[in-house]
Order: sequence, then C-alpha cells, then structure tokens
Amino acid sequence: MLKKIQQDSHDQFEELGYPSKKLENWKFSSSKHLKKYKSDSSHNKDLSIDQYKNPYTLCFINGELSEESLNDFVYKDDISISDIETLNDNSLCATSSNFKKEAFFHLGLSTVKTGKYFEFKKGVDFDNPIEIVNLYDKNSKDLRISSFNIFKINTGNNISIIEKDINQGVDSFNLSLKKFICSDDSTLNHSMIHNDNTGSNYLGYHYYELGRNTFLNIDSMNIQSTFNKNFIEVDFNKEGSEAKINMLNLAKNDQHLDNNILMNHNAEHCTSFQNVRNILDDESTCVFNGKVIVADGAQKTDSNQSNQNLLLSKNATAHSNPQLEIYADDVKCGHGSTTGALDKDSIFYLRARGINQADANNMLIKAFAQEILEEFINITNLSEHHLNHWIDE
Amino acid sequence: MIKIKELEASVEDKQILNGINLEIPKGEVHVIMGRNGSGKSTLANVIAGNEAYEVNSGSIEMNGNDITEMSIENRALQGLFLCFQYPVAIPGVSMAYFLRAALNAHNKHAGKDDIDAVEFLTNAKKILSHLGLDDSFLKRSINDGFSGGEKKKSEILQLLMLNPQFAVLDETDSGLDVDALRTVAEGVNEFNNDGNSVLIITHYQRLLNYIKPDVVHIMIDGEIVKSGDMNLAKEVEEKGYSWLVK
Repeated sequence: MLKKIQQDSHDQFEELGYPSKKLENWKFSSSKHLKKYKSDSSHNKDLSIDQYKNPYTLCFINGELSEESLNDFVYKDDISISDIETLNDNSLCATSSNFKKEAFFHLGLSTVKTGKYFEFKKGVDFDNPIEIVNLYDKNSKDLRISSFNIFKINTGNNISIIEKDINQGVDSFNLSLKKFICSDDSTLNHSMIHNDNTGSNYLGYHYYELGRNTFLNIDSMNIQSTFNKNFIEVDFNKEGSEAKINMLNLAKNDQHLDNNILMNHNAEHCTSFQNVRNILDDESTCVFNGKVIVADGAQKTDSNQSNQNLLLSKNATAHSNPQLEIYADDVKCGHGSTTGALDKDSIFYLRARGINQADANNMLIKAFAQEILEEFINITNLSEHHLNHWIDE
Repeated sequence: MIKIKELEASVEDKQILNGINLEIPKGEVHVIMGRNGSGKSTLANVIAGNEAYEVNSGSIEMNGNDITEMSIENRALQGLFLCFQYPVAIPGVSMAYFLRAALNAHNKHAGKDDIDAVEFLTNAKKILSHLGLDDSFLKRSINDGFSGGEKKKSEILQLLMLNPQFAVLDETDSGLDVDALRTVAEGVNEFNNDGNSVLIITHYQRLLNYIKPDVVHIMIDGEIVKSGDMNLAKEVEEKGYSWLVK
C-alpha cells in the first residue's frame, strides 16, 4: 500500500514543486537551501547506539528503527510493531488534507524507504515514558533523511513519549512525517526536544487525530538547528477532548525557527491551548502561524492561543500570526501575541539590588521561559538544563 | 555619609533637578516633601543610577566616594538601597531566588561565600513575621499579583535583608492603609541605626506620625527651598506649599 501512496506523492511533488514565498506557510522562510540535499540512498550507517541503550529507549538511525534497541526495549510485548507496507487499512495512513498541499510532505512521503506502525495494546498504561532517540550518523552529510511513522494510542492507554533528535554535527536535512491516532478515552503526552547540532535542518509534519474524551499534551523545545520548521495539526473529530501545546524555542546566530499549528475543532465540547514562546538572539528569526478553526456545530469549544517573543538583539525578527476562524456561535476563543525586548524597568529593579547586568538579563530570560517550563509534563528538568546551557554559551 | 552637591539632572532632555544640595550624616533620617512634579522621584532615581536619567552637573558622594558615574549595581553594592515607588512585577522569578541572588552578589562583593541556605531562611522568616507576611511569600514571583501593601512590605523585606548603609524611600507610604503604614514605618525604624542613614521622599506628613526625622526639606521645581525640623512638615501640612514658592 505504501508504494501506491508514494507514487501518488511523487506525482504531487512534481506538480507542486518546491514552495515559494508566495505561499502563506512559506512567506517568511525560504526553501531554496533545502534543494541541495540528496535523497538518502541506503548508505552505511556508521553509528553505535551503545550509549543510548536503555530499557525504555527506542533508537531510530537515519529514520529507521534500530532492531538492536528493540531487543532491549522493556515494553516490546505491549506494542505491536509492523511495517507500514504491510498495512491493509488505507485509513491508517491518511493524514491532514492541509499537509497534502505541502510539497515537502509529498517529497518526504515519496522518498521514505520504510516506516513503522506502532499500536499500543488496549488499556496499557506505562509507568515510565518511552524515549525515542532519532540519531543521524556522520554519513548523512548533505543528505535528506525522510521518515514516516504511525502511532496508534488505543482506548485506555496512557502513554508518554519523549522524542529527542541527536545529530552528529553534520549538515543534513531531516524530514519527519508522523501520525498519531488517539483512540477514545486515551492520553498521549508527546514531548520533543530538537537539539540538533548547528548545521542541520529539520522539517516536521505531525498529525494528531483525536477520538472522544482524549487528552493530548505536546511539549516541545527547539534549540540549535539552523532551520527548524514544524507543522502540527490536531483534528478534534469527536466530543470532549483536550489538546495542549507548550513550546519553547531558542535561536541564535542566523537560525530560523518556524511553527505552524492548526487546531481543527470539528466536534463539540473540546478544548485547545497553544502557548508558544520564542527567545531570539543575534540575527535569528522565528515564525508563529497559529490557527484555530471551529467548525459549524462545534459548540462549547474553548480555545486559546498565545505567542510571546523575546528579542535579545535589535537584529532578531519575530513574525507572529495568530488566527481564528469560527463558524459556531457558542464558543470561547481567545488569542494574543506580544513581541518585545527585556523590560528595562525590571533590569533596573534587579540591578538596584546589586545584581549585575548580565545576571539580571539571564534572570529575566529564564523567567520568560519558566512559565512554559512549568507547563511541561516530562521534560521540565531537561529543558531547563538546555536553557541554562544555551544562556551560558 | 551622603553628600549631594549642585546636582542637576534631566529626563528625556527636560531638566528636572536644578541644583540639589543635600548632606545626610550617618544615623540621621531626612525627609523630602514636595508637590507632584517637584522632582522628588527624579532625585531618588538619579541617586540610584537609573539610566533613563542624565546627570548634567554636580555630584553624589557616598562615604567620600563619588558615585555619580557608578553603575546601578555598584551603587547598590556600595550600600545604597532604593525603596521603589512602583516596584515592577517579574513573573517567573521567586522572591527567595531573587533575595538570595541579591545577597550573594553583596557577599561576593565583600569577598564572602554564598549565603547559607538555613541562615537565609531563618532571617527571612523572622522579617516576614515582623511584617505580618506568611512564609509562602518567598515562593511568590517578585511583586506579581501583590497588593499595594504587599509590594511596599516586599520593599521593606528587601531593605531589612540587605541592610544597606543608605536607604532612599520613594513614596513608600503611598497607597497604604493605616495598619500597613504602621508596619512599614516600624520596618524603617527597625532598620535605622547609628551606622546608616535614610532619605524619605513623601507627599504627606502622615508617615511622620510614625517615623521621626532629624531634618525635613521642601523641594519645589527641582530645588530644595527650605529645610527645618518636624515643625516644617506640620506647617506644610497646614499651609500647603504656595508660601514657599520663590
């Protein structure tokens, strides 16, 4: 089945071509530099996973699941894992109609070599989060690594996934496609830390399909990639679900961080929160395109989106575009956006107590980040560590 | 201990202070009274080194050292403390973290080790109790969601923790009810001793029911036009400021 989908995607990509700045989603980010990366052609994977071996960790090397890490995986009997090629149900692979307008989504799908379908057994509730480590080896230089994986969270599941991207410092382009099917009465905490070494590019298309009474929490911290662009779409297809996205992005030099979030409220009594904060230094840029669509009939929707940008340099730029499209009449929706430098009065206050300028600045940067870090469910300490390291650099 | 000579200062190119002369010896409490816009808060900000203000001429000395060009934090480390009229809220930084950072900065300047956690908590809790504040106050973010009274008590908490040599209280009495005013005044009295000095900036005489100043100065149009004892404050309370205008 994958072969057929891939052929369709190949045709779609040929038709669409690389995105230009005329497209709303690419208005502030150029795709030109992504053209140079060649598709990954089964090169030798020169990478040991020994240092990441852990009973709770699954390693992916250049987008492919490492069988070696699966052998030691403590929850392997509670998850059924199969190749996407072997799936008979077409609907499992179906993703957002919006992603289908994206050339890179099709490029990723048409060139992916293999993908896995993970289905958690009904009622399974793990004590520990599953750690997914995406490793990219040194031979991935100048390559585009595409991956496509599907996760089905079944009824009664309470699953936490902590995903980390670890690059070996090479200039590569990681194109990640993921789908999460959250069945009725399930909970998914999906945390992501993109801590690639500078030089890499990341483009993610993550689609979340929510059933009835589900809880979805997405925590995300982006640091260091030269180019990091995420498309996140959540479809509320049945009533009573809640989705929260808390995101902290840190950028320096000429880094570009770009987040495109869409909450599709198609059912009644659902709640969504987007809370995205960017801290930008030097000549870095960020984009926030947050959108909430409340369909006709999705009454009692409660939705809020907040984007706050802290500019540490006069040359840093933030583009913020929170949007609401409401077709129902009994809803509560709010959005807000602020962009500014460190508050001079706050710096004066701290310095007037003997705290030097640098420490005062750092204290305020941490305070800005703190409100997101406190919301993170599984990655608060790790994110705090990365934040401190980023500030000290 | 603090000596201000012919101080002229401006904000956004508008000169506000027009030659201030003021000397406060150790152990004394001085009060500056004046109408809105007379330059009282400008003087407080200029003494503290607020970079939004520019000193055009004159000097500020503390213990014989010229601090006119000194950075904000170095003035604080030399023993200067400003009780803010409008303390800013800083969500995400707890009072405990902030106070420890400030105390450690002072200790480092004095060549001492970081403050011991137990000693810090013991001292803080004692002062909080005097100010009628709960220990949980330390966990709250700086001035975030504080009532008017809590903000001013937070300033007094910092004053007593840092124990500076010279404290400037900028309208610390404004917006306080009688009980809070008494608590704040008691804090200032607890702080003041022979080894330090205090400058109180106020609109009204009512704080002086609880704090007895050694000298009262009247400021009009950026100048100190008259100085005297407590009777001067009472006279201003009765007659207003018009009779003092040159």
